[in-house]
Amino acid sequence: MNFVSKLKLILVSVFIITYSQYAQTDFDAQYDFAKSLYEQEQYFDAITELKRLFFFDKSEKYIYSGNMFIGECYKQGGKFSDAIHFVTFAQINAASEKEIYDAGIEIIRLNILRRTTSQALKLIDSLESNPEFESKKSELNYWRGWAYIFSDDWENAAIEFSLIDANHELKIFSEKVDEEQYSVGFAKTISYFIPGAGQFYTGEYLSGLISLGWNVLWGYLTIEAFINDRVFDGIIIGSLLWMRFYRGNFQNAEEFALQKNLEMSNKALNYLQYQYQGLKP
Amino acid sequence: MKWILIIILIGTSCCFCQSISVDFNSPENIRKFADHLFCEKDYLRANFEYERLLGNDADDTLLFKIGLGYSFIRDYQNGNNNFSRITSSSIWYDDAKLQQLKLYFLLGDYKRAASIYEEEFEIKENKYSIESNKLNNFIYFFGNKTLPLKEEIIFPFNEDEKKVVSSFYDWKSNPPYKSSFTAGILSAVIPGAGKMYLGEWGDGITAFLVTGLFAFLAYDNFEADHDTRAWIFTGLGAFFYAGNIYGSVAAAQIFNARIEFEFNQSLNVYLSNKNYFTPEYEFCK
Repeated sequence: MNFVSKLKLILVSVFIITYSQYAQTDFDAQYDFAKSLYEQEQYFDAITELKRLFFFDKSEKYIYSGNMFIGECYKQGGKFSDAIHFVTFAQINAASEKEIYDAGIEIIRLNILRRTTSQALKLIDSLESNPEFESKKSELNYWRGWAYIFSDDWENAAIEFSLIDANHELKIFSEKVDEEQYSVGFAKTISYFIPGAGQFYTGEYLSGLISLGWNVLWGYLTIEAFINDRVFDGIIIGSLLWMRFYRGNFQNAEEFALQKNLEMSNKALNYLQYQYQGLKP
Repeated sequence: MKWILIIILIGTSCCFCQSISVDFNSPENIRKFADHLFCEKDYLRANFEYERLLGNDADDTLLFKIGLGYSFIRDYQNGNNNFSRITSSSIWYDDAKLQQLKLYFLLGDYKRAASIYEEEFEIKENKYSIESNKLNNFIYFFGNKTLPLKEEIIFPFNEDEKKVVSSFYDWKSNPPYKSSFTAGILSAVIPGAGKMYLGEWGDGITAFLVTGLFAFLAYDNFEADHDTRAWIFTGLGAFFYAGNIYGSVAAAQIFNARIEFEFNQSLNVYLSNKNYFTPEYEFCK
């Protein structure tokens, strides 16, 4: 075989080898296409194209990354349960410990967003107990803190963030929110002794005054009826009117405290959503 | 030379398993993928894929599957649009008409459902004439049309079905409604009696006691020359008395609405269990 023939043979072999790689490029292109749809926020179409890729790509090359992507699409659409379904599928098909961990963290984040806090905490505990992820303690504490934030338990959230760093930004923030919150028990208890006091404590002065006024009025009429030996009147006014307003007073104080706390939590979550620069669920 | 051949062999064999180029958008592959989605019950995506295949010359099986897909995701209007495109020469024509009858039924458009039945099943010959007759007879239970004779209604059903349909008929022809007028009058005569008539014994006794108590307190205070308090209790008593009458009338209306809701609910459960007398299609076997 002379030099020209050898050269021809080499060129042909290069052509055959590169040509045989084309199919792989088709699947890569399809994956990139799905990614571009995701980037354009066309989540429904992105999921369709990823499903198309799974259907034709028998090598299952994208089974992990593709399912993670589908999970991300559903997450962006607020369909957290569907997202968990696909990320779990990705985790089952993970090829390395890193992929198992990443998918696990994503499932935890989705559970936090879905407010299935106990499930999120359980999954964090299970990752923590795995010796492979010994070095990930801080990250797991971080997500545990977020799980508590989403379940409105700012005190425990601050504790978890303090385990990462005593001056952690979220620790300071959670403590601040926790300190600002009203004590529901205290609001209720002081209203037992001084009607309207719980409303004053939560800043609802008008409601507090009205509550105090009603209780003074019906209390006065009840006592007056007893003093004048109108026992029946006293019992009726006392039980039907005074007790009704007295009970309403401390129930109202409790409701105000709960409502104010919810408003504060929502404000804090709003701040975290738009102002906080770190990782969020 | 030997080395070149080895390189070619290794190079091609490594990639052989992945060497099939796929045209994702060829009609054949779109259809395969759509069928896969359909069987995965991802009907909306399946329909979008099927619709890509529809040209001017629409494939009737595709149209039927699209119609079914939309009906599964409760987009009955789009389902109907697709079923109505199936022409009388198609093997799916009878099925499509039965599905249309079902979808108009589910949309609550009983008039259109009845007209489909008359035009396609009563006048013409159709393999689903019995099923359509059964479904059509249920329209009488939902709508306000005058009920025909019981024998006519239960005629197309089998023996087991006849018992259930017969009880639906009895209910519809003689519903256990309560009169709101009677409830109001009873409460005007004896406070709380209207509520007791509706079976709300607790509310009735409470209304009787509260109104009686205020009346007594008013009387007692007038007797003791405590006019201001007496008038307060009179006002409260009158308020409770009037409220009780109004409450009894409203409660009767709520009672009737609940009865009707429960009836419609049981009809829907029964029909759903019977798949609205339409066949199950096995496209995924």
